[in-house]
Amino acid sequence: MLIVREMKLADVIHHDYNLVPVINRFDISLGFGDGTIREICEERDVNVEFFLSILNTFHDVQYFPKDYLKSFPVSLIINYLRKAHSYYSDEKIPEIKLLISKLIRLSGKNNKTLNLISNFFNDYCNEFAAHLLREETIVYPYVLSLEKALAEKNDNGLVDMELMKYSITTYEADHEDVEEKLFDMKSLMIKYLPLESSDNLMFEEISYSLLRELFVLEKELSEHSRIEDLILVPKVEGMEKHYKSGR
Amino acid sequence: MGALKNIILVENNFLLRSGIEGLILELPGLLLKEVFDGKEKNLYRKLINKKPDVIIIDPNALGHNFISIISKLQEEAGIMLIGLLGSDCPENISSRFKNHLPLEGNKHLLLQKLREACGKDAVYPTNKKTQADSRLLSAREIDILREVVKGLTNQDIADNLFLSIHTVMTHRKNISRKLSIKTVSGLMVYALMNNIVDINEMG
Ligand SMILES: [Fe+2]
Ligand SMILES: [Fe+2]
Repeated sequence: MLIVREMKLADVIHHDYNLVPVINRFDISLGFGDGTIREICEERDVNVEFFLSILNTFHDVQYFPKDYLKSFPVSLIINYLRKAHSYYSDEKIPEIKLLISKLIRLSGKNNKTLNLISNFFNDYCNEFAAHLLREETIVYPYVLSLEKALAEKNDNGLVDMELMKYSITTYEADHEDVEEKLFDMKSLMIKYLPLESSDNLMFEEISYSLLRELFVLEKELSEHSRIEDLILVPKVEGMEKHYKSGR
Repeated sequence: MGALKNIILVENNFLLRSGIEGLILELPGLLLKEVFDGKEKNLYRKLINKKPDVIIIDPNALGHNFISIISKLQEEAGIMLIGLLGSDCPENISSRFKNHLPLEGNKHLLLQKLREACGKDAVYPTNKKTQADSRLLSAREIDILREVVKGLTNQDIADNLFLSIHTVMTHRKNISRKLSIKTVSGLMVYALMNNIVDINEMG
Protein backbone atom coordinates (compact mmCIF):
# COMPACT_ATOMS: atom_id res chain seq x y z
CA MET A 1 0.00 0.00 0.00
CA LEU A 2 1.28 3.47 -0.84
CA ILE A 3 0.44 5.83 2.00
CA VAL A 4 -0.80 9.20 0.77
CA ARG A 5 -1.85 12.45 2.43
CA GLU A 6 -5.60 12.08 2.02
CA MET A 7 -5.75 8.72 3.83
CA LYS A 8 -7.08 8.64 7.35
CA LEU A 9 -4.21 8.02 9.71
CA ALA A 10 -6.39 5.60 11.69
CA ASP A 11 -6.88 3.42 8.61
CA VAL A 12 -3.16 3.37 8.01
CA ILE A 13 -2.49 2.18 11.56
CA HIS A 14 -5.17 -0.50 11.20
CA HIS A 15 -3.31 -1.68 8.17
CA ASP A 16 0.15 -1.67 9.77
CA TYR A 17 0.34 -1.25 13.53
CA ASN A 18 4.16 -1.38 13.42
CA LEU A 19 3.91 2.28 12.48
CA VAL A 20 2.78 3.29 15.99
CA PRO A 21 6.29 3.95 17.36
CA VAL A 22 7.05 5.81 14.14
CA ILE A 23 4.18 8.28 14.49
CA ASN A 24 5.10 8.67 18.16
CA ARG A 25 8.42 10.07 17.00
CA PHE A 26 6.46 12.89 15.38
CA ASP A 27 4.70 13.50 18.69
CA ILE A 28 1.52 11.91 17.45
CA SER A 29 0.11 9.52 20.06
CA LEU A 30 -2.80 7.12 19.92
CA GLY A 31 -6.11 8.84 20.34
CA PHE A 32 -5.25 11.19 17.48
CA GLY A 33 -8.83 11.21 16.24
CA ASP A 34 -10.45 10.85 12.87
CA GLY A 35 -8.32 13.11 10.67
CA THR A 36 -6.51 12.47 7.44
CA ILE A 37 -2.73 12.47 7.43
CA ARG A 38 -2.70 15.95 5.95
CA GLU A 39 -5.03 17.33 8.62
CA ILE A 40 -3.22 15.74 11.51
CA CYS A 41 0.15 16.97 10.23
CA GLU A 42 -1.13 20.50 9.71
CA GLU A 43 -2.59 20.63 13.22
CA ARG A 44 0.78 19.72 14.67
CA ASP A 45 3.04 21.51 12.28
CA VAL A 46 4.58 18.30 10.99
CA ASN A 47 6.08 18.36 7.47
CA VAL A 48 3.68 16.14 5.51
CA GLU A 49 6.11 15.17 2.75
CA PHE A 50 8.66 14.05 5.27
CA PHE A 51 6.10 12.23 7.39
CA LEU A 52 4.85 10.33 4.34
CA SER A 53 8.28 9.34 3.16
CA ILE A 54 9.16 7.96 6.59
CA LEU A 55 5.87 6.07 6.90
CA ASN A 56 6.23 4.58 3.43
CA THR A 57 9.84 3.59 3.92
CA PHE A 58 8.87 1.78 7.10
CA HIS A 59 5.81 0.20 5.65
CA ASP A 60 7.06 -1.08 2.32
CA VAL A 61 10.51 -2.50 1.67
CA GLN A 62 10.08 -1.80 -2.04
CA TYR A 63 9.37 1.89 -1.52
CA PHE A 64 12.04 4.26 -2.67
CA PRO A 65 11.47 7.82 -1.47
CA LYS A 66 13.21 9.75 -4.23
CA ASP A 67 10.28 11.94 -5.20
CA TYR A 68 10.08 13.56 -1.82
CA LEU A 69 13.77 14.07 -1.27
CA LYS A 70 14.10 17.66 -2.27
CA SER A 71 11.19 19.04 -0.38
CA PHE A 72 12.26 19.14 3.25
CA PRO A 73 15.20 20.42 5.29
CA VAL A 74 17.77 17.85 6.34
CA SER A 75 17.51 18.94 9.97
CA LEU A 76 14.09 17.24 10.02
CA ILE A 77 15.68 13.92 9.13
CA ILE A 78 18.38 14.32 11.75
CA ASN A 79 15.82 15.26 14.36
CA TYR A 80 13.82 12.15 13.53
CA LEU A 81 16.85 9.85 13.55
CA ARG A 82 17.97 11.17 16.93
CA LYS A 83 14.56 10.50 18.41
CA ALA A 84 14.66 7.00 17.03
CA HIS A 85 18.07 6.43 18.57
CA SER A 86 16.94 7.40 22.01
CA TYR A 87 13.89 5.17 21.63
CA TYR A 88 16.19 2.21 20.93
CA SER A 89 18.76 2.89 23.58
CA ASP A 90 16.53 4.27 26.34
CA GLU A 91 13.50 2.03 25.89
CA LYS A 92 13.98 -1.04 23.71
CA ILE A 93 17.43 -2.17 24.84
CA PRO A 94 16.64 -1.80 28.57
CA GLU A 95 13.40 -3.73 28.05
CA ILE A 96 15.31 -6.58 26.48
CA LYS A 97 17.93 -6.51 29.21
CA LEU A 98 15.22 -6.65 31.83
CA LEU A 99 13.65 -9.70 30.21
CA ILE A 100 17.01 -11.46 30.04
CA SER A 101 17.70 -10.77 33.69
CA LYS A 102 14.26 -12.12 34.59
CA LEU A 103 15.08 -15.32 32.73
CA ILE A 104 18.39 -15.62 34.53
CA ARG A 105 16.70 -15.13 37.87
CA LEU A 106 14.15 -17.82 37.03
CA SER A 107 16.66 -20.38 35.94
CA GLY A 108 19.30 -19.88 38.58
CA LYS A 109 22.81 -18.79 37.78
CA ASN A 110 23.84 -22.06 36.17
CA ASN A 111 22.07 -21.96 32.86
CA LYS A 112 25.16 -21.89 30.68
CA THR A 113 23.33 -21.15 27.45
CA LEU A 114 21.42 -18.30 28.97
CA ASN A 115 24.58 -16.78 30.38
CA LEU A 116 26.25 -17.01 26.99
CA ILE A 117 23.26 -15.40 25.29
CA SER A 118 23.20 -12.68 27.89
CA ASN A 119 26.91 -11.91 27.34
CA PHE A 120 26.34 -11.98 23.62
CA PHE A 121 23.61 -9.38 23.98
CA ASN A 122 25.73 -7.18 26.24
CA ASP A 123 28.52 -7.19 23.66
CA TYR A 124 25.97 -6.33 21.05
CA CYS A 125 24.72 -3.38 23.10
CA ASN A 126 28.24 -1.96 23.31
CA GLU A 127 28.69 -2.22 19.56
CA PHE A 128 25.28 -0.74 18.97
CA ALA A 129 26.00 2.18 21.31
CA ALA A 130 29.25 2.84 19.43
CA HIS A 131 27.34 2.85 16.14
CA LEU A 132 24.84 5.41 17.44
CA LEU A 133 27.57 7.51 19.02
CA ARG A 134 29.49 7.76 15.77
CA GLU A 135 26.38 8.91 13.96
CA GLU A 136 25.45 11.41 16.62
CA THR A 137 28.88 12.90 17.20
CA ILE A 138 30.36 12.82 13.70
CA VAL A 139 27.83 12.29 10.96
CA TYR A 140 24.81 14.27 12.13
CA PRO A 141 26.81 17.35 13.25
CA TYR A 142 28.57 17.31 9.89
CA VAL A 143 25.26 17.26 8.08
CA LEU A 144 23.87 20.09 10.17
CA SER A 145 26.94 22.29 9.65
CA LEU A 146 26.73 21.57 5.95
CA GLU A 147 23.15 22.71 5.93
CA LYS A 148 24.09 25.88 7.77
CA ALA A 149 27.15 26.52 5.59
CA LEU A 150 25.08 26.04 2.48
CA ALA A 151 22.71 28.77 3.59
CA GLU A 152 25.59 31.10 4.42
CA LYS A 153 27.46 30.41 1.23
CA ASN A 154 24.47 31.70 -0.63
CA ASP A 155 25.03 34.97 1.22
CA ASN A 156 28.78 35.48 1.11
CA GLY A 157 30.17 32.91 -1.31
CA LEU A 158 32.77 31.63 1.20
CA VAL A 159 33.48 27.94 1.72
CA ASP A 160 34.32 26.34 5.06
CA MET A 161 37.45 24.25 4.51
CA GLU A 162 36.72 22.00 7.50
CA LEU A 163 33.61 20.76 5.77
CA MET A 164 35.52 19.85 2.65
CA LYS A 165 37.47 17.19 4.56
CA TYR A 166 34.55 14.88 5.23
CA SER A 167 32.05 13.35 2.87
CA ILE A 168 28.87 11.43 3.45
CA THR A 169 30.16 8.72 1.10
CA THR A 170 32.60 7.71 3.85
CA TYR A 171 29.64 7.09 6.10
CA GLU A 172 27.74 5.26 3.39
CA ALA A 173 30.70 2.99 2.70
CA ASP A 174 31.14 1.75 6.25
CA HIS A 175 27.66 2.04 7.62
CA GLU A 176 27.51 -1.41 9.12
CA ASP A 177 24.59 -3.75 9.51
CA VAL A 178 23.29 -3.55 13.08
CA GLU A 179 20.58 -6.19 12.88
CA GLU A 180 22.65 -9.23 12.00
CA LYS A 181 23.46 -10.10 15.58
CA LEU A 182 19.85 -9.82 16.61
CA PHE A 183 19.06 -12.42 13.99
CA ASP A 184 21.71 -14.70 15.48
CA MET A 185 20.35 -14.15 18.95
CA LYS A 186 16.91 -15.21 17.76
CA SER A 187 18.37 -18.36 16.23
CA LEU A 188 20.19 -19.21 19.43
CA MET A 189 17.03 -18.73 21.46
CA ILE A 190 14.71 -20.53 19.09
CA LYS A 191 16.94 -23.53 18.59
CA TYR A 192 19.10 -23.94 21.65
CA LEU A 193 17.71 -22.28 24.75
CA PRO A 194 17.05 -25.07 27.24
CA LEU A 195 14.09 -24.91 29.60
CA GLU A 196 15.77 -25.06 32.98
CA SER A 197 13.75 -23.31 35.58
CA SER A 198 11.79 -23.57 38.78
CA ASP A 199 8.77 -22.09 37.03
CA ASN A 200 8.58 -23.38 33.48
CA LEU A 201 5.37 -21.61 32.60
CA MET A 202 6.78 -18.26 33.58
CA PHE A 203 10.05 -19.03 31.83
CA GLU A 204 8.25 -19.82 28.59
CA GLU A 205 6.14 -16.70 28.87
CA ILE A 206 9.16 -14.45 29.32
CA SER A 207 11.17 -16.20 26.59
CA TYR A 208 8.29 -15.50 24.26
CA SER A 209 8.21 -11.81 25.19
CA LEU A 210 11.95 -11.62 24.73
CA LEU A 211 11.78 -13.25 21.32
CA ARG A 212 8.99 -10.89 20.29
CA GLU A 213 11.04 -7.87 21.37
CA LEU A 214 13.98 -9.11 19.32
CA PHE A 215 11.82 -9.52 16.23
CA VAL A 216 10.42 -6.03 16.65
CA LEU A 217 13.79 -4.41 17.27
CA GLU A 218 15.39 -6.22 14.35
CA LYS A 219 12.69 -4.97 12.01
CA GLU A 220 12.83 -1.44 13.42
CA LEU A 221 16.59 -1.28 12.99
CA SER A 222 16.55 -2.48 9.45
CA GLU A 223 13.98 0.20 8.54
CA HIS A 224 16.04 2.74 10.43
CA SER A 225 19.12 1.88 8.39
CA ARG A 226 17.07 2.13 5.21
CA ILE A 227 16.06 5.65 6.18
CA GLU A 228 19.71 6.53 6.73
CA ASP A 229 20.82 4.92 3.49
CA LEU A 230 17.92 5.91 1.25
CA ILE A 231 16.83 9.28 2.61
CA LEU A 232 19.73 10.82 4.53
CA VAL A 233 22.62 9.80 2.29
CA PRO A 234 21.16 10.87 -1.08
CA LYS A 235 19.88 14.09 0.43
CA VAL A 236 23.32 14.96 1.78
CA GLU A 237 25.00 13.88 -1.44
CA GLY A 238 22.88 16.45 -3.23
CA MET A 239 23.84 19.11 -0.69
CA GLU A 240 27.53 18.30 -1.02
CA LYS A 241 27.40 18.54 -4.77
CA HIS A 242 25.84 21.91 -4.41
CA TYR A 243 28.33 23.11 -1.83
CA LYS A 244 31.58 21.65 -3.02
CA SER A 245 31.28 22.07 -6.74
CA GLY A 246 30.25 25.67 -6.95
CA ARG A 247 33.37 27.31 -5.56
CA MET B 1 19.77 -31.95 1.97
CA GLY B 2 17.59 -29.54 3.85
CA ALA B 3 19.48 -26.28 3.70
CA LEU B 4 17.92 -23.19 2.17
CA LYS B 5 17.52 -23.25 -1.61
CA ASN B 6 18.06 -20.01 -3.43
CA ILE B 7 15.57 -19.24 -6.14
CA ILE B 8 15.69 -16.66 -8.89
CA LEU B 9 12.58 -15.69 -10.79
CA VAL B 10 12.54 -14.33 -14.33
CA GLU B 11 9.12 -12.82 -14.87
CA ASN B 12 7.97 -9.50 -16.29
CA ASN B 13 4.28 -9.73 -15.53
CA PHE B 14 3.56 -8.06 -12.19
CA LEU B 15 0.62 -10.25 -11.24
CA LEU B 16 2.43 -13.48 -12.01
CA ARG B 17 5.47 -12.24 -10.20
CA SER B 18 3.50 -11.54 -7.04
CA GLY B 19 1.77 -14.90 -7.32
CA ILE B 20 5.02 -16.84 -7.55
CA GLU B 21 6.50 -14.83 -4.70
CA GLY B 22 3.47 -15.79 -2.61
CA LEU B 23 3.94 -19.49 -3.38
CA ILE B 24 7.61 -19.41 -2.49
CA LEU B 25 6.83 -17.70 0.81
CA GLU B 26 4.60 -20.61 1.75
CA LEU B 27 7.38 -23.13 1.46
CA PRO B 28 9.92 -22.99 4.27
CA GLY B 29 13.36 -23.85 2.97
CA LEU B 30 12.96 -21.85 -0.21
CA LEU B 31 14.26 -18.34 -0.50
CA LEU B 32 13.49 -15.96 -3.36
CA LYS B 33 16.82 -14.26 -3.89
CA GLU B 34 16.07 -11.96 -6.76
CA VAL B 35 13.54 -11.21 -9.46
CA PHE B 36 14.52 -10.20 -13.00
CA ASP B 37 12.10 -9.00 -15.62
CA GLY B 38 14.02 -10.65 -18.45
CA LYS B 39 15.08 -7.51 -20.30
CA GLU B 40 18.29 -6.86 -18.31
CA LYS B 41 21.58 -6.55 -20.17
CA ASN B 42 23.92 -9.53 -19.75
CA LEU B 43 21.12 -11.41 -18.03
CA TYR B 44 22.88 -14.76 -18.27
CA ARG B 45 25.90 -13.48 -16.34
CA LYS B 46 23.71 -11.83 -13.75
CA LEU B 47 21.77 -15.04 -13.19
CA ILE B 48 24.90 -17.13 -12.80
CA ASN B 49 26.54 -14.63 -10.46
CA LYS B 50 23.73 -15.06 -7.96
CA LYS B 51 24.61 -18.75 -7.66
CA PRO B 52 21.01 -19.91 -7.62
CA ASP B 53 19.90 -23.47 -6.93
CA VAL B 54 16.71 -22.98 -8.88
CA ILE B 55 15.67 -20.58 -11.65
CA ILE B 56 12.00 -20.17 -12.47
CA ILE B 57 11.56 -18.78 -15.97
CA ASP B 58 8.61 -17.45 -17.87
CA PRO B 59 9.68 -17.85 -21.53
CA ASN B 60 7.59 -14.81 -22.48
CA ALA B 61 9.75 -12.60 -20.27
CA LEU B 62 12.87 -13.50 -22.28
CA GLY B 63 11.23 -12.91 -25.67
CA HIS B 64 13.57 -13.58 -28.59
CA ASN B 65 16.53 -14.12 -26.22
CA PHE B 66 14.88 -17.23 -24.85
CA ILE B 67 16.77 -19.83 -26.88
CA SER B 68 20.22 -18.33 -26.41
CA ILE B 69 19.83 -17.90 -22.64
CA ILE B 70 18.14 -21.20 -21.94
CA SER B 71 20.75 -23.11 -23.95
CA LYS B 72 23.55 -21.71 -21.84
CA LEU B 73 21.64 -22.32 -18.61
CA GLN B 74 20.98 -25.93 -19.57
CA GLU B 75 24.70 -26.52 -19.56
CA GLU B 76 25.12 -25.25 -16.01
CA ALA B 77 25.29 -28.21 -13.67
CA GLY B 78 23.55 -27.81 -10.35
CA ILE B 79 20.90 -25.34 -11.43
CA MET B 80 17.36 -26.61 -11.61
CA LEU B 81 15.32 -24.88 -14.32
CA ILE B 82 11.59 -24.57 -13.90
CA GLY B 83 9.36 -23.30 -16.71
CA LEU B 84 6.29 -21.25 -15.99
CA LEU B 85 4.20 -22.52 -18.84
CA GLY B 86 0.68 -22.20 -20.17
CA SER B 87 -1.04 -25.26 -21.63
CA ASP B 88 -0.64 -23.76 -25.12
CA CYS B 89 3.13 -23.59 -24.77
CA PRO B 90 4.78 -25.16 -27.84
CA GLU B 91 6.73 -28.36 -27.39
CA ASN B 92 10.06 -26.88 -28.54
CA ILE B 93 9.89 -24.49 -25.60
CA SER B 94 8.42 -26.69 -22.88
CA SER B 95 10.92 -29.45 -23.65
CA ARG B 96 13.70 -27.15 -22.51
CA PHE B 97 12.56 -27.46 -18.90
CA LYS B 98 12.89 -30.47 -16.69
CA ASN B 99 10.13 -29.17 -14.45
CA HIS B 100 6.97 -27.26 -15.22
CA LEU B 101 4.72 -24.96 -13.23
CA PRO B 102 1.42 -24.97 -15.10
CA LEU B 103 -0.11 -21.49 -15.30
CA GLU B 104 -3.58 -22.98 -15.05
CA GLY B 105 -2.80 -25.02 -11.92
CA ASN B 106 -4.54 -24.42 -8.60
CA LYS B 107 -2.62 -23.48 -5.51
CA HIS B 108 -2.30 -26.96 -4.14
CA LEU B 109 -0.95 -28.33 -7.39
CA LEU B 110 1.49 -25.46 -7.83
CA LEU B 111 2.89 -25.85 -4.33
CA GLN B 112 3.30 -29.56 -4.90
CA LYS B 113 5.07 -29.05 -8.22
CA LEU B 114 7.33 -26.41 -6.79
CA ARG B 115 8.23 -28.64 -3.88
CA GLU B 116 8.99 -31.57 -6.15
CA ALA B 117 11.04 -29.46 -8.52
CA CYS B 118 13.19 -28.04 -5.76
CA GLY B 119 13.84 -31.50 -4.40
CA LYS B 120 11.38 -32.83 -1.84
CA ASP B 121 13.98 -32.85 0.86
CA ALA B 122 14.62 -29.18 0.39
CA VAL B 123 11.29 -28.33 1.91
CA TYR B 124 10.20 -31.11 4.18
CA PRO B 125 13.00 -33.59 4.83
CA THR B 126 11.46 -36.97 4.23
CA ASN B 127 13.73 -39.55 5.72
CA LYS B 128 15.49 -39.40 9.04
CA LYS B 129 18.95 -39.73 7.59
CA THR B 130 18.87 -36.71 5.29
CA GLN B 131 17.24 -34.74 8.05
CA ALA B 132 20.09 -35.40 10.45
CA ASP B 133 22.71 -34.75 7.77
CA SER B 134 21.33 -31.39 6.95
CA ARG B 135 21.14 -30.31 10.56
CA LEU B 136 24.32 -31.45 12.11
CA LEU B 137 27.71 -30.08 11.27
CA SER B 138 30.10 -32.52 9.65
CA ALA B 139 33.44 -33.24 11.30
CA ARG B 140 35.12 -31.01 8.74
CA GLU B 141 32.71 -28.18 9.43
CA ILE B 142 33.37 -28.48 13.15
CA ASP B 143 37.12 -28.16 12.47
CA ILE B 144 36.45 -25.02 10.49
CA LEU B 145 34.10 -23.62 13.12
CA ARG B 146 36.78 -24.10 15.77
CA GLU B 147 39.17 -21.99 13.73
CA VAL B 148 36.57 -19.36 12.84
CA VAL B 149 35.72 -18.59 16.43
CA LYS B 150 39.39 -18.14 17.24
CA GLY B 151 39.08 -15.11 15.01
CA LEU B 152 41.26 -16.46 12.22
CA THR B 153 40.90 -15.19 8.66
CA ASN B 154 39.85 -17.45 5.81
CA GLN B 155 43.43 -17.46 4.59
CA ASP B 156 44.79 -18.56 8.00
CA ILE B 157 42.20 -21.30 8.23
CA ALA B 158 43.04 -22.50 4.74
CA ASP B 159 46.74 -22.67 5.63
CA ASN B 160 46.16 -24.43 8.95
CA LEU B 161 43.88 -27.09 7.53
CA PHE B 162 45.55 -27.46 4.12
CA LEU B 163 42.45 -26.40 2.24
CA SER B 164 41.87 -23.91 -0.52
CA ILE B 165 40.42 -20.60 0.52
CA HIS B 166 37.43 -21.32 -1.70
CA THR B 167 36.71 -24.54 0.20
CA VAL B 168 36.94 -22.71 3.50
CA MET B 169 34.44 -20.14 2.29
CA THR B 170 32.04 -22.83 1.11
CA HIS B 171 32.23 -24.57 4.47
CA ARG B 172 31.61 -21.31 6.27
CA LYS B 173 28.55 -20.64 4.16
CA ASN B 174 27.19 -24.10 4.90
CA ILE B 175 27.83 -23.72 8.62
CA SER B 176 25.94 -20.43 8.76
CA ARG B 177 23.13 -21.90 6.74
CA LYS B 178 22.75 -24.98 8.90
CA LEU B 179 22.87 -23.07 12.16
CA SER B 180 21.09 -19.88 10.97
CA ILE B 181 23.88 -17.93 12.61
CA LYS B 182 25.61 -15.27 10.57
CA THR B 183 28.14 -13.54 12.77
CA VAL B 184 31.39 -14.78 14.25
CA SER B 185 30.30 -13.90 17.77
CA GLY B 186 27.05 -15.81 17.24
CA LEU B 187 29.05 -18.83 16.11
CA MET B 188 31.20 -18.42 19.17
CA VAL B 189 28.18 -18.75 21.44
CA TYR B 190 27.13 -21.87 19.57
CA ALA B 191 30.61 -23.36 19.85
CA LEU B 192 30.82 -22.67 23.58
CA MET B 193 27.32 -23.97 24.18
CA ASN B 194 28.13 -27.24 22.50
CA ASN B 195 31.59 -27.57 24.00
CA ILE B 196 33.19 -27.38 20.58
CA VAL B 197 35.63 -24.94 22.09
CA ASP B 198 36.60 -24.25 25.66
CA ILE B 199 36.27 -20.78 27.13
CA ASN B 200 39.94 -21.00 28.20
CA GLU B 201 41.02 -21.54 24.61
CA MET B 202 39.68 -18.15 23.71
CA GLY B 203 42.13 -15.29 23.95
FE1 LIG C 1 21.13 5.54 13.19
FE1 LIG D 1 22.96 3.54 11.41
